[in-house]
Amino acid sequence: MLTWSTVAPAVTAAFLASLVEVVEAFTIVLAVATLRGWRPAAVGTAAGLAVLAGIVVLLGPLLDRIPIASLQLAIGILLLLFGMGWLRKASLRAAGVIPLHDEDAIFTAEADQLSEQARQQQRNLGWAAGITALKAVVLEGLEVVFIVIAVGAGRGLLVPASLGALAACALVLAIGAVVHRPLSRVPENILKFGVGVMLSAFGVFWTGEGLGIGWPGQDLALLLFAALFLGAGLIGSVFARKLAAEFA
Amino acid sequence: MTMLEEFAAELIGMFVGEKRMTISVLAIVAATGSLVDFFGLDPLVGGAVLLFGCLILLVESVCRSSRAGAS
Repeated sequence: MLTWSTVAPAVTAAFLASLVEVVEAFTIVLAVATLRGWRPAAVGTAAGLAVLAGIVVLLGPLLDRIPIASLQLAIGILLLLFGMGWLRKASLRAAGVIPLHDEDAIFTAEADQLSEQARQQQRNLGWAAGITALKAVVLEGLEVVFIVIAVGAGRGLLVPASLGALAACALVLAIGAVVHRPLSRVPENILKFGVGVMLSAFGVFWTGEGLGIGWPGQDLALLLFAALFLGAGLIGSVFARKLAAEFA
Repeated sequence: MTMLEEFAAELIGMFVGEKRMTISVLAIVAATGSLVDFFGLDPLVGGAVLLFGCLILLVESVCRSSRAGAS
């Protein structure tokens, strides 16, 4: 039976991670739509979503054939690598060591690139714009697919995790439809910090279970792990700020 | 770069952001598994090795990147 302590972390992680990725994809799709019209943007996005759906349909059934301990270990290690990578970068961004993700700058860069393409080749511009949208959706969507599978597989949580991701898509699209500009006011680094914390916590949990470690408190151990990773990320950020000042 | 190469690079980049941290995480997992399976370490102690190994590694990686001017 599914309980809130099992479902909530998976749905929250899928929702927040998807929010970050969908905002990034939306910025590029919006740049395509602004410069080349909504048709290539919509076709490219639909094609990208179809590619992602194909990946899920192909890989989904294969997961059922893998022994649960091996699946937990493999996904746990991948989550550790992915989550700690996000957390490391978020800590460095919070410390001011690396610049924050700037959706306005990405929008401008993507628009400039499309304009340059327009100058160089007058034909097939719609095609090039559609491909740009497709690539953005697939590249950002791959991370969403991985996160949904990672937090959902092994415990029958694929549907709740998918719903979390879909809710994020719906929210970004709804806000994007209203404001019609890059969502640069989303506190992206705070979200990435939070998602990095949750994915790292899931990573330790699944890796441990895959190695035969029975965590005390079962799913509730996730909360302790998340608190510890949050503390480590914040401590790392404080140290990083001091070190950056010292070595500047 | 073809689109497939870009997708492959994105997939690899998802998990191998910083090589030293990636190798260290794999080493911690391998050490934990070996201690529990081959040396009979209490699984809970193995869990603590895994958890605190990753936490220390995270702080170390952030500090090292900061000293190096970040990547």
